[in-house]
Amino acid sequence: MSAPNCLRCLVRPSAGIPVSAPRTVSPLVTPFVLARTAPFSTTAANARPKKEAQGKSDGGGSSRGGKKLQLGKFKKEKVADRGRTPLPGERKAYRKRITLSNDNAIPVPWLTDLGPADLADPRSSGKVMALPEEVQDQLRASEAFKATQCWGMFRKPAVLVRKETTDLVNRMEDAVDKKETLRLVVTGDKVTGKSMMLLQAMTHAYLNNWIVIHVPEAQELTTACTDYAPIPNTDPVQYMQNVYVLKLIQAIKRANEKVLAKTYTMTAHPELPQNMPANSSLLALANVAKEAEGAWAVFQALWTELTAQGANRPPILLTLDGLAHVMKVSDYRAPSFDLIHSHDLALVRLFSDVLAGGGAKFPSGGAVLAATSRSNAPRAASMELALAQREAEQSNKEKEKTDVEVPKKDPFFRGYDDRVEAVLRSVQVLRLKGIDKLEARALMEYWAASGMLRAMVDEKTVTEKWTLAGSGVLGEMERAALLTMRV
Amino acid sequence: MMASSTRQGFTPALRGVSRTLNGTKRQPLEQQFQSLRLSPALVPGRRCMSTESGPTEEEGSIVAAPEINMRELYHRFKLAEHARAVPVSPSYFSRTPTFNDRYLALDRFSRTYGNLPVIPTTDTERIAWKTLADLRQSFGEPVKATDYVKCLTIIKRLHQIHPELKPNVVTEALREFERDVQAFLNVPTPIPIDKFGRALGVGKRKASTARAFVVEGEGQVLVNGKSLADYFGRVHDRESAVWALHATDRIDKYNVWARVEGGGTTGQAEALTLAISKALLAHEPGLKPALRRAGTVTRDPRRVERKKHGRVKARKGPTWVKR
Repeated sequence: MSAPNCLRCLVRPSAGIPVSAPRTVSPLVTPFVLARTAPFSTTAANARPKKEAQGKSDGGGSSRGGKKLQLGKFKKEKVADRGRTPLPGERKAYRKRITLSNDNAIPVPWLTDLGPADLADPRSSGKVMALPEEVQDQLRASEAFKATQCWGMFRKPAVLVRKETTDLVNRMEDAVDKKETLRLVVTGDKVTGKSMMLLQAMTHAYLNNWIVIHVPEAQELTTACTDYAPIPNTDPVQYMQNVYVLKLIQAIKRANEKVLAKTYTMTAHPELPQNMPANSSLLALANVAKEAEGAWAVFQALWTELTAQGANRPPILLTLDGLAHVMKVSDYRAPSFDLIHSHDLALVRLFSDVLAGGGAKFPSGGAVLAATSRSNAPRAASMELALAQREAEQSNKEKEKTDVEVPKKDPFFRGYDDRVEAVLRSVQVLRLKGIDKLEARALMEYWAASGMLRAMVDEKTVTEKWTLAGSGVLGEMERAALLTMRV
Repeated sequence: MMASSTRQGFTPALRGVSRTLNGTKRQPLEQQFQSLRLSPALVPGRRCMSTESGPTEEEGSIVAAPEINMRELYHRFKLAEHARAVPVSPSYFSRTPTFNDRYLALDRFSRTYGNLPVIPTTDTERIAWKTLADLRQSFGEPVKATDYVKCLTIIKRLHQIHPELKPNVVTEALREFERDVQAFLNVPTPIPIDKFGRALGVGKRKASTARAFVVEGEGQVLVNGKSLADYFGRVHDRESAVWALHATDRIDKYNVWARVEGGGTTGQAEALTLAISKALLAHEPGLKPALRRAGTVTRDPRRVERKKHGRVKARKGPTWVKR
């Protein structure tokens, strides 16, 4: 979080900060101004040299002066051998580590790799299929795997193709056929597989040479844990998050390397620090972003190129996990000390504009998907209401009836947000529930074949786990069958 | 006549040592035999003929017959001079005449009616017979355990006789050995299955009460409007909630809709176990033995133990302090 001296620099902006920069500067020189700007660092306190710590580096703790009460004549020196303490960041790395295979698990002979058309094929629903090696690397690069998912239990990562998966993928394909953008929010109860649905959509996209831009944790954008700086010449002021954008560009680059190498720029980009002539590959363009400074300009250039109308571009998939975090007022502060709305952060705005149906049009169509989260999500009343409304409207439309009542705003509640409502006015909603028993059976057979479930998979066991998991909630089935110790 | 279960060993012990001490109250054995002797000197009237006589005469105790005037009998019936009276009951001289009489009667019946057709024990009317303690209490006699066992064997054999052919005398004789309170007559009100096919079972555990509506279905469970996984965070609690269905392999055959109130999660889960089990029994009464083996038939009566004075909790002692 912001430290006091950081706040001070907000109150008294120095000449170098672009807020006070004269508006007359031409947009062409913007990047050079940017290059000189000092971002509002949230780690100022950490950056300050620690004078006190340098003096007593060997003490390993504060030593108190004065007399000490000595109980007992001969007191043994306590030597607590704690072994090697983990280095800074080591614990977090361990916590966030993602293991995708387990050599002790039995390989499943009948497991087939996913092909480009498999996820769209309704016949493959209710089957467990493996992710191809290449796609694994791409997904890993875009951080689609999560540490909470049970990848590390099996020989190779595999996914259950659900009915909802084929449904979603078919909708994506339809949109691409019509060169439109599918705008959809995946929602559902706790551990019903919302993030996994995004992963499957991304898998399909990678297999079909789409370009995938994935924001793995929306909270990283809005909880004031990454640098931000106002973008000059924007009204109302928007904010860029250079460090995050750099990371995102690198993830995009690594994940979409092949496709980006085959896609070429339409126009020259003289505003970038490194001159990019027209007809150079997008991979080269993405490579321009070497440092945090200027990363936003590169991202903007990349985005303009990707969405350039009339060009031959691959379809684009834009995904974001943890929607509630970007549908609220962020924790960042403007120079006037007001809280910044999430939609004033440039990257979030880019996403929300596409989700709202405005903003950039994808030249070859594509999809923008967002998933809500139930474990780490702030209250976003407008989002919840809007999703409930869209869902009710959707079901009324499907049945051509009006039997489901569309929920209305609570007239006595003040926490609604008009900007959020505007964004979610016309999205589709995919609500995930538990899987049915056939799917549950396929899944449990895969677990048993991998040696992770040591029980005979029959009607009885399947129904038992299905019931214990609250009518087949996927994560709960894993808990009930795989993660609970059985003796 | 005293109910002498406490005095059994005591009486013979006293007999030798404290004859003079108790002479007034308790008649020694010789004296009792004398009372049987046909002596003209004795005043005719009611006398206690028991081997043991209490200080007071109780209502319904055995009373000796009036003295037989043998001399008169000699003359009237021309009897031999050395004739003597023999008691009618062979148990006249035993310590347990009441029991003995019944036992002998039953023995006679079993010999007489032993050839009547019988029905299997499972089909007989269930009757709680008197336990040994009950028997001693009701007859007021120190009945031997071995005699009791032998008697009970005869009772059960007689009870097996086909009810339509069973003589009334046998029924009457057996009635004396029935317990006063017949627990088998307490039949719980059967749980009805309503027109929607629901059976409502109620279960309790600790401070929780659960009502479970069980219908035929495919294994869905709703507890207070939430799914099982939503309502119970622990997998163990979920398992114990549907334990009755799981133990009888019925988990995929019924749906449950339940309301639970009070207590904590464990209590609620286990209250649900009992409720579901009872409702399941309404659908399939034959599952009762299986459910009993699964431990879901009997209500667990344990509650929080009360705190006692002088203790920190119910049992925890206060910390030891030196001074």
